[in-house]
Amino acid sequence: MRYSFRLTAIWEAFRVATASLRANKLRTALTLIGIVVGVTAVIAVVTIIKGLDQTVAQTFSSQGSTVFSISKNPQIIKSREEFIKANRRKDVTHEDAEAIARLCPACWRVGIAANAVETVKYADQKAENVRIRGVDPTTMFDIDGVTIDVGRIWSDTEGASGRDICVIGADMLKNLFSDAPSDRAVGQEIRIDGRPYLVLGVLEPLGSIFGFSRDNVVYIPYSTYQKAYGGRRSLVVFIQVPDAGQLEIAEDQVRTIMRNRRGHATDEDEGFALETQDVFLNLYGSATSNIYLVTIGVAAVSLLVGGIVVMNIMLVSVTERTKEIGIRKAVGARRKDILTQFLIEAVGVTAIGGAIGVGTGFGLAYVISALIGFPLLISVTSAVLGVACSSIVGIASGMWPAWRAAKLDPIEALRAE
Amino acid sequence: MSDATLTLTPPEHAENEIKPRLEIDGHDPSMLISMRNIWKTYQMGTESVHALHGVSFDIPRGEYIAIIGPSGSGKSTLMNLIGCLDTPTQGEYWLNGKNVSEMDDDELARIRNQEVGFVFQTFNLLARATALHNVELPLIYGGVGASQRHEMAKKALNAVDLADRITHKPNELSGGQRQRVAIARALVNHPSILLADEPTGALDSHTSMEIMDLFERLHSEGNTIIVVTHEHDIADRAHRVISIRDGQIEKDERIK
Repeated sequence: MRYSFRLTAIWEAFRVATASLRANKLRTALTLIGIVVGVTAVIAVVTIIKGLDQTVAQTFSSQGSTVFSISKNPQIIKSREEFIKANRRKDVTHEDAEAIARLCPACWRVGIAANAVETVKYADQKAENVRIRGVDPTTMFDIDGVTIDVGRIWSDTEGASGRDICVIGADMLKNLFSDAPSDRAVGQEIRIDGRPYLVLGVLEPLGSIFGFSRDNVVYIPYSTYQKAYGGRRSLVVFIQVPDAGQLEIAEDQVRTIMRNRRGHATDEDEGFALETQDVFLNLYGSATSNIYLVTIGVAAVSLLVGGIVVMNIMLVSVTERTKEIGIRKAVGARRKDILTQFLIEAVGVTAIGGAIGVGTGFGLAYVISALIGFPLLISVTSAVLGVACSSIVGIASGMWPAWRAAKLDPIEALRAE
Repeated sequence: MSDATLTLTPPEHAENEIKPRLEIDGHDPSMLISMRNIWKTYQMGTESVHALHGVSFDIPRGEYIAIIGPSGSGKSTLMNLIGCLDTPTQGEYWLNGKNVSEMDDDELARIRNQEVGFVFQTFNLLARATALHNVELPLIYGGVGASQRHEMAKKALNAVDLADRITHKPNELSGGQRQRVAIARALVNHPSILLADEPTGALDSHTSMEIMDLFERLHSEGNTIIVVTHEHDIADRAHRVISIRDGQIEKDERIK
């Protein structure tokens, strides 16, 4: 008896609540907005970042954490002080690279690379902002984790000769050769900054990260790079170890070699930057955690505002239905029956808002992931969390209006119009 | 309140006058309703207003009784007390063997659900619900399961000749039909008392007579009926009339 008593009353509360929400569609819709925005923000950001996480993990693990670099300027400069400090350093030179290759037993592959950004042309086709990467020796291809698709890499003698030869990234095919088969590009002559280069080979595509293509690149021998862009720019030395376990040993050895060569290392600065991919991962991690924080802030504010709107609407609803409450009380509804009815109504609104928010959030994430190009990972946990959060907002904001309704005096309530 | 001093001295002693029996512990357990020295006081700012002072009466099961009085006499207050919508400031009210004068909100809700069937002047039906659902309402809060509920509600609507109107909403029904839905709702839970507050106040004279005929029939079927009214021709249909004036019982007499 007791059990069924509660069940029938709760079912009635549910019935009344849904009928009331249906009867006031516009009001319900307006009530939902704040909740929808909040949940959408959370779902979209969580989904996008999860997708990015996967992309980043895949990208960096393709090279593995077996590579580190020595350079004058760190690849990520976090402060002005760091920038000034780095600019006072001596350039990293070809000799540094040779010394490392010679003196570091734990180092497996050592290569140098320098980058420029140029416009590349073929016939009347043009590709802009292409990364021109001068590398030496050809093991730099392995260190970079790129492989040849069609054609070949230059030989060591070709590389040392300073001839105008190149290996192009997959984007060049698309942008210069109108997506022609790779072998059509091999043997052609492209122009970089007006200088003609013979295409020896085409690289396999790597895809893009954060919307930036990793295939928008032309590799040329370092000797050629020096002729075209001068040798005064500082180099980056890349060192690869056979497996991640030896990374620390190699880093220590290289650090010792470089300190000896720099000589003037001070307490504040050792005169060079030694970086692994962890730098990127750390930067990425702190960036995404900031995004998470901002999103949680946005979501919290919109859920708060949404909650206040719900509370306001619920107070209106209670006032409007004072007579109804009186009738229900007259025929035997207890306080908790009325309380339940209005709580279910409030939670109903916010849960619907949460569900819509989950939908639009995934929708938004889908659109963005399609635009930038990363996988869409639909997380059930975040969907459940979204609906749960909004339901909690519903309980919190519905409690007071529902309590006001529940403790209405039946005589007064019946007198209302 | 067994030692309550009662000042029940009406202006003239009619031979059919009814006096409450006081001998058994302040109330009469044989009675369905037993009110003893009921006071209801409202605080209006710094002033105390006595809506009822020292009202006592008994109502046996199966009686058809009218409570009559001009507006402001305290009859609405008395009706609210009888219907367990309110509790007295002082005094004891026994309904069907239960002392309801000191119950809390939820206990009163339970009593209203089980013991009292209300019929209001303005019907007080749920506008968006069908006749059937309106009649089911007390059963819902009484915890009656869906199938049994439908059956009971249909039977109650049948008893007021509305079997063909169960899916109609109040705005699709005439005033008389609405009041009959309300009566069906009042009766559906088989309450101890049917408490009607100006039940014909919003109806034309022809429909009023229909409703009063229905009350008469329900009384003959054994229901206890209390009608609160200010109209003498409505009160005259009852078998006993309690007249209220200035918060006190002016007259309590059997007329049939």
